[in-house]
Amino acid sequence: MKTYFLIPLLALLAMPASASKMGMPADAPKSYEAECASCHMAYPPGLLGQKSWQNIMSGLDKHFGTDASLDPKTQTEITQWLMKNAATKEKYSALAPENRITKTSWFIRKHDEVRADVWKRTGVKSPANCSACHADAAKGDFNEDRVRIPTK
Amino acid sequence: MKKKIILVLVLVSFFGPAFSATPQEILRGYESQSGKASPARGEQFFNAKHGKEWSCASCHESPPNHDTKHIVTGKVIKPLSPNTNPERFVDQAKVEKWFKRNCNDVLGRECTSQEKADVLSWLMTVK
Repeated sequence: MKTYFLIPLLALLAMPASASKMGMPADAPKSYEAECASCHMAYPPGLLGQKSWQNIMSGLDKHFGTDASLDPKTQTEITQWLMKNAATKEKYSALAPENRITKTSWFIRKHDEVRADVWKRTGVKSPANCSACHADAAKGDFNEDRVRIPTK
Repeated sequence: MKKKIILVLVLVSFFGPAFSATPQEILRGYESQSGKASPARGEQFFNAKHGKEWSCASCHESPPNHDTKHIVTGKVIKPLSPNTNPERFVDQAKVEKWFKRNCNDVLGRECTSQEKADVLSWLMTVK
């Protein structure tokens, strides 16, 4: 009898462990959604290391071709939260080339089977558009089994 | 009765700031720093490129009365016209922030009050 309870319990316990490395922390400041997620997905901070986030946050007036400047108070708030929740494992925290998540070695390896023309589909547009294929990416869910690639 | 009025005033002062303006008020503010707004000039400005890669319409499309997608990231952008999206042009600080960012992207400089007035006056006519 006891095992019937034990199995779901164990499953529940196991879940956060596998999801946590990319998960979206519950304490994201409102400004993160308002300021950062207007133009792109709210990337979970665990996708980059501290140094990469620092580089991004100190160059917001020239942010991948656009002006994403913030007032000093908001900038500090978001930076501190990103620092606190940045990737710590070596694999994910290595300095990202051009400060791009999509240029990290782990990102490239994870996506090496995706053909060049797939990235260009209207439904995808850019490798930075995580939620095109990972529907719950903004919640930090990048599970391979739930990937759905747009056909157009 | 008096207490009720005070309570309402206190509540408004707390929740007011985020939605404290109307598009008309914001437009009047820009007009007072320049001249009378021209919706026709605003439409032209919105759709034209200004020496750089993008126009306003690159991301907002024209007329901007429906959900559109960011030209680079594909992220959905809510309609810009205050007639189709009541959350637009009701917060002066937010309006200024986005004019600063987007004018830099489209023109490589900040917009003048006249340009802002023109564009806003046109957006207010978009249904």
